[in-house]
Amino acid sequence: MEQSLRVKVNGQDLRREVPPRLTLADFLRDRLRLTGTHLGCEHGVCGACTVLLDGDAVRACLLLAVQADGREVTTVEGMGEPGRLTPLQRAFLARGAFQCGFCTPGFLATGEALLRSGRRLTRAELPQLLAGNLCRCTGYGPIVDAILEATGSR
Amino acid sequence: MKSAAFDYERPTSLPEALDLLDRHGEDCKPLAGGQSLVPLLAMRLARPRLLVDLDRVPELRGFTGQAAGAMTTNAQLERRAGDLPPVIAAALPHIGHFQIRNRGTVGGSLAHLDPAGEWPALALLLEAELTVESKRRGRRTLSAGEFMRGPLTTALAADELLISVSWPRWPAGARWAFAEVARRPGDFALAGAACTVIAGRTRAVVFAVGPLPQVAGDGGFEVTGDLHASAAYRREVGKRLLDRVMTQAAI
Repeated sequence: MEQSLRVKVNGQDLRREVPPRLTLADFLRDRLRLTGTHLGCEHGVCGACTVLLDGDAVRACLLLAVQADGREVTTVEGMGEPGRLTPLQRAFLARGAFQCGFCTPGFLATGEALLRSGRRLTRAELPQLLAGNLCRCTGYGPIVDAILEATGSR
Repeated sequence: MKSAAFDYERPTSLPEALDLLDRHGEDCKPLAGGQSLVPLLAMRLARPRLLVDLDRVPELRGFTGQAAGAMTTNAQLERRAGDLPPVIAAALPHIGHFQIRNRGTVGGSLAHLDPAGEWPALALLLEAELTVESKRRGRRTLSAGEFMRGPLTTALAADELLISVSWPRWPAGARWAFAEVARRPGDFALAGAACTVIAGRTRAVVFAVGPLPQVAGDGGFEVTGDLHASAAYRREVGKRLLDRVMTQAAI
């Protein structure tokens, strides 16, 4: 049986009927056509589908869409746009923090949550904090550089 | 990787949640943070007819320094690390990645009972008590040892819900150590161990090596091998981690 879902996505209040088994990731991608949220492993390991739920970084593949009822979701589409990138996105661009780009939306969500947390980020702890996102191209160095640069710009 | 269809209920009180479990029994599954259950659903290793989402049951929330409601997230506890026994505070960063800890709950980890889980090991180490409740039989309190029956298997009846977990007051001067080995920080432990020395009494637990976390004694411990690590690897690493935490806690 379909469930009624009220959720704010990238600032927009939505109301949809969804089957309970629909994950938040599939809701975003298939129902809202917000395909910036990528699906790699679909069981919480790769981090590509990371989005912000009420400001906290979460795995969109490990959440049912109905669990987001009454909450606010921010995807990569809600973070900036061409010509008006966020400081984190500008830093990713400047540092070459992506190659194929598959993991980038997840890293941006994780990075955004880290920046918003207000904690002082150090180079030494970033590998630990980024362990929940896999990148197969960059070797992570430029990603760490970009997040540190964005921290400095705040 | 898409789950089979199921119905969904989101009760807003404990009596309502227990009533759903009473009526649906084996056909239903409580949903806490979903960080273990949702992948099991996606892989169709679990196929409940009904999910009972506990997110809006206020009786399952709340935290005092000595007890946590089942729906307390690991991230909420991390923010209160100073109020926790230090061995719990040390273990929390190992529970998944921080994105997982934002959703994953204490009760969900205990009720799921993955042998590699940190919460089952902590509950056994600290001799925690688990309060469970059903509509028909009311509340009962189980020791961690009574609660854990086997890998992914607890003493919870189909109509019973884990309400909260409590642990003894952490005395001044108590000592502890925690260690685990995983491929990435936050991945499932391939072996782990933790130790407390409280009022001169040493208690050590080894986990992620066998079917359940185990209190370390003279008889060694049971190991199992799988795709991630062989039994021989787990025996060796488990033994070394036990040695390490017992040495660290003794100093």
